[in-house]
Order: sequence, then structure tokens, then C-alpha cells
Amino acid sequence: MNLKVMKTLLWRETWEHRGLIWAPLITAAVIVLTALLSTKLTGSIRINLDGKEQEIFATLSTNLSHQQQLFAVWLGALVIPQMIVAMIVVAFYALDSLYNERKDRSILFWKSMPVSDAQTVGSKLATALLLVPLWVWLVSMIASLAVFAIVSLKLGGTPLAPLATFYPGAWVILQLTMLQNVLVAALWYAPVVVYLLLMSVYAKRNPFLWAVLPPVLLVIFEEVAFNTNMIAGFISNRMFGFFRELDLNISPADDSTSASVMHEISRSYEQLGTLDMLATTDLWFGVVSAVIGFFIVVRLRRWRDDA
Amino acid sequence: MGAVIHAHDVRKRYGRSTLALDGLNFDVAAGRIVGLMGPNGAGKTTALKAILGLTPFEGDLQVLGRDPRTERDSLMQDVCFIADVAVLPKWLRVDHALDYVAGVHPKFDRQRADEVLSRTDIKRKSKVGELSKGMITQLHLALIMAIDAKLLVLDEPTLGLDLLYRRDFYESLLNDYFDHERTILVTTHQVEEVENLLTDVLFISHGKIMLDSTVDALPSRFSQLVTSSDHVAEARALRPVYEREVFGRYAFIFDISKGGAPTADELAAWGDVRTPSISDLFVALMNGGNSTGMNSAGVSAEGAR
Repeated sequence: MNLKVMKTLLWRETWEHRGLIWAPLITAAVIVLTALLSTKLTGSIRINLDGKEQEIFATLSTNLSHQQQLFAVWLGALVIPQMIVAMIVVAFYALDSLYNERKDRSILFWKSMPVSDAQTVGSKLATALLLVPLWVWLVSMIASLAVFAIVSLKLGGTPLAPLATFYPGAWVILQLTMLQNVLVAALWYAPVVVYLLLMSVYAKRNPFLWAVLPPVLLVIFEEVAFNTNMIAGFISNRMFGFFRELDLNISPADDSTSASVMHEISRSYEQLGTLDMLATTDLWFGVVSAVIGFFIVVRLRRWRDDA
Repeated sequence: MGAVIHAHDVRKRYGRSTLALDGLNFDVAAGRIVGLMGPNGAGKTTALKAILGLTPFEGDLQVLGRDPRTERDSLMQDVCFIADVAVLPKWLRVDHALDYVAGVHPKFDRQRADEVLSRTDIKRKSKVGELSKGMITQLHLALIMAIDAKLLVLDEPTLGLDLLYRRDFYESLLNDYFDHERTILVTTHQVEEVENLLTDVLFISHGKIMLDSTVDALPSRFSQLVTSSDHVAEARALRPVYEREVFGRYAFIFDISKGGAPTADELAAWGDVRTPSISDLFVALMNGGNSTGMNSAGVSAEGAR
């Protein structure tokens, strides 16, 4: 595929949907602002310590590797709200992308250009699964540095002071891990985006209803008819499965001893990477569905004749 | 060089009963400006959609030697179209529109588009939604004229524009774009607007071609007789394809190419004879060939000029 064409098509998407660019920036700004205004020292990290900060951070300051892990988990957790906002924006983008062009009949202009339907649909898929996530990755990287700077200034001379140390090596590894996550998420959510594109290219009007009603009706039907909720489980696994994998809350068992907190930090740190998901059949089942769905979307756009 | 468009028995059915194209047969040679004309619902737009590969159909249709159903992607390198007016999206900024076409079209000459645009009042940072309908068409034309295409398809390109923009549109098309190698296929129901620039006419009605002729061949094919009421009976006896009355004068159109039809000289005995204009012919043939003339309200207004 011609790179210049692809680049132009991706730019085109950002011209039409400014929100794809702005939403991550605004979310990042809110996070930085929150860190700035927060009266809690940490501002951006949830650690349930039951008032044992002194003891735990004393342990931590003698344990470099755990300290680095906590540093990574903390900054890594900052990405999650940004990802959630981006996902909502991307979902609406995908629903609009092949519907608006028919509604305003601009599809006749796009189709007057030597761009194949596969290129067009591909550019929309790439925008949703790569362009926006990579943008979020970049923006969150800057935001996490800003948050770190703010918090470390506040922490000077408190029991939490060990958090104020910057570990360049750990930081680089964290960013690379997050980049991996972007790619794993792209594979995991590909069928969801393709489903939204499918409804977008198919719906005569109101693609939102077309996207939401069928699964809701199926869930209700299954619940009433068979008193089971496999479909609901299937959908929620696809929607939230990635975040279950990326569970960064540090909530040690109730005793909150130093040892259990250290253990929790290590556990969370292990959760930062989602590469394990590549070994699940769920993920590859989704990828195969997405590929099939992609060809259906391309075909529908090719022959849809109602503009 | 072969035909730019070759259509043989092209059929298209919508649903179970509506036959939009009922066996189209025609050829369009390179370097022609062809008017595809017909009343609303005649199949003009469907025919264009088939040519542009936007709709499935049956039969044999070759555009620049390619089948628009299966080779659309490569075909669009050499074919441009303006389908209707105002299909540029409202959110698109003028400079982005230029960037876009420059990015995706290998035969786009950006400098040329800039040149054409600089002759208008269109600002580069305006969004399409802020432009008037006439300006949007100017922008679209500037984009299209900078593409070195072999076939340009225009579907009602001036619909809803005021007179000045309409005249400008066709003037720039003819003066700055057409070079006798390119081919232009235009549909319109404002026949009088294009009749002076066409080299060929295709009349379509109920999905069939009713007339396929070069403009040069029309005089040897049709004659129009204008006469007073005294000679109506004689004229009718010569079997005109069309008849109409305007202010007490009678106009008859004859197909003089048919066997047994009167010659132009014979007609001259009954009144003034000339070649009918394309709009007159349009009205005559689109009324189904019967000679009552003033039946169909849609076209009689056009014919009564």
C-alpha cells in the first residue's frame, strides 16, 4: 500500500474528527491539573496503607527494586484514565466514520478519488486502533513526567519521599511496556472497532442504536429464555478483559504488613505488561473475527448505493 | 484508440419490478463532449453510477477498456466525476481539500488548482460549510480541473446554482479544461444550458437510449417546420414526430432520415424550415414521439420558449 496515500488518509481522519486529537490532550491536562491541586500528597496513586506509611516507606527506601517497581506502577496507572477517555472517543468515531459520509453524501467525493474501499476502511481502522492509541501513549508520557515533577516537589521531607526519586531506566522500560500494551490492545479491541464500523457502514440512520440494541436484546433474550448470561459474559470479557489484565491497584491483604505491600507492588508490576494475552485463544479468535468483519465492511462500502 | 465508453446491453434492476436500465447500447469516442439527457427517473444517474462502478449491473460495460465493477480502483486514476452539487463535506477546509487530493491522486497538479482557485474569492482557511453553493462548485471544479483525467463525468453539476455561476462553470470547463483529447460526459435536464458545447447527444428514457447522434449529424436527421394554421393538415400528412402550437403558429419536427419522409426542400413549401435545437428535439422525443405536444407538464414548459 502506498505510504503517501495512507498518510493522507490518516490526516483526513484527524481533520474530520478533531476530538481524536483534542480529547487525549484535555484528559492529560486534567490529570496534571488534578495532581497540581490535590491536597493529598500522592494525588495520583491509590495505595491502601492503613496509616502505616512510616513503616512501609522505611522498608521501601532500603529496597531499590521494589521502589522502582512502585515508581513504574504509579506512572503506568496514570495512563488508564486517558485510555478510557480515548476508547469512548474512538467508539463514537468508529460509529460515525462510515455513516456521516453517506449522510452528507460526501462519499461521492471520496469515491471520485483513486482510493480503494479497502484503503479507506483500513485508514479508519488504523486511526482507531493505532493512530489514536499511539497519540495517547505519547501524550501520557509527557503527562506522567509532569505529574511526577509536581508530586515529587510536594513529597520532599515527608514519609513518602522515596516516591520522589526518578529512575530513568525504569521509566524507559515502562514506556516500552506501554507501547507493547498499545499493540496488544489494538489486537484485543480490533473486533470491537470492526463491529462498530460494520454498524456504521450498514445503518440507514442512527448507527448508535444499531450498535447498542442488538447486543442488549440478545442479552435480555438469553436471560429470559435460558436464564443464563453467556452473551453478557462474552461481551463484558471483550470490553473489560484488557483492563482486568492491566490491574494496577495496590490493595494488599488486610494486614498491610510491609511484606504484603511489597508483594502487592511486585504483583502490580507484573500486571503492567499484557503480553500474556497474546497466548490466549480469545485474543486470536477476536483477530480472526476482525479480519472477516473487515472484508464485509469493505464490501458493503463498495456496493452501498444510497447516497 | 478504442471507445472511451462501450456499453452493450447494460441492464440494472432496482428491487423486483423497477428496470432502471433496460439494455443500454452506446459508444463514446475520445475527445467528445457528450450530453446524456433524459427526464427525471429516465436512468441518467443510474447509467453514470454504472459507468463509475458505484452500482452493480448486468451486461457488458467497458470504460477506458476496464470493467468498472472489477477494476474500479485503477479506473479512478483516469476518471473524475462531479456527482451532483455540494458533496464536499462541510468540515473540510479548502487547503486540506488541496492537500488531500494532492496526497491521493497521482495525476493532480496542485499548482494548477492553486491557480484556478486564486481567480476566485475562496479563502484557503475557509471550511466548505462557510462557502456559498456557487463557491463550493468552483472549489470542486478547481480540484477536478487540476487532475489529468481521460474521462470527466458530470452529473447535474450546476443544479441549484445561479445563472452567473452556471455560465462560469461551463466556460471554464470548455476554455481551461477541454482539450479535444479528454472526454466529458454530462447529464443535465437544463438542456439549453449545454446545447452549445456538446458534440454528441444521448437521449435516454425509461432506461433505453432514444437518440444517439453527433450534433453535426442532427441537421441531416431532423427538420423543424414552422408554419401557419393554413398548412397544418398538409404538414400532419407528412407524419411529423412532434407538433406544437405557439401563439397561433405551428411547429412540426420531422425525422427526415426515415424512408418516405419529406426532404427539407419539400418542407420549405409549407413554411420556414430549420434544424431544431437540442432542447426542441429533447421535448419532441421525450414526449414519446406522439404529436400532441402539450401533454407532459414537466417538459412542455421547457419546450414553449
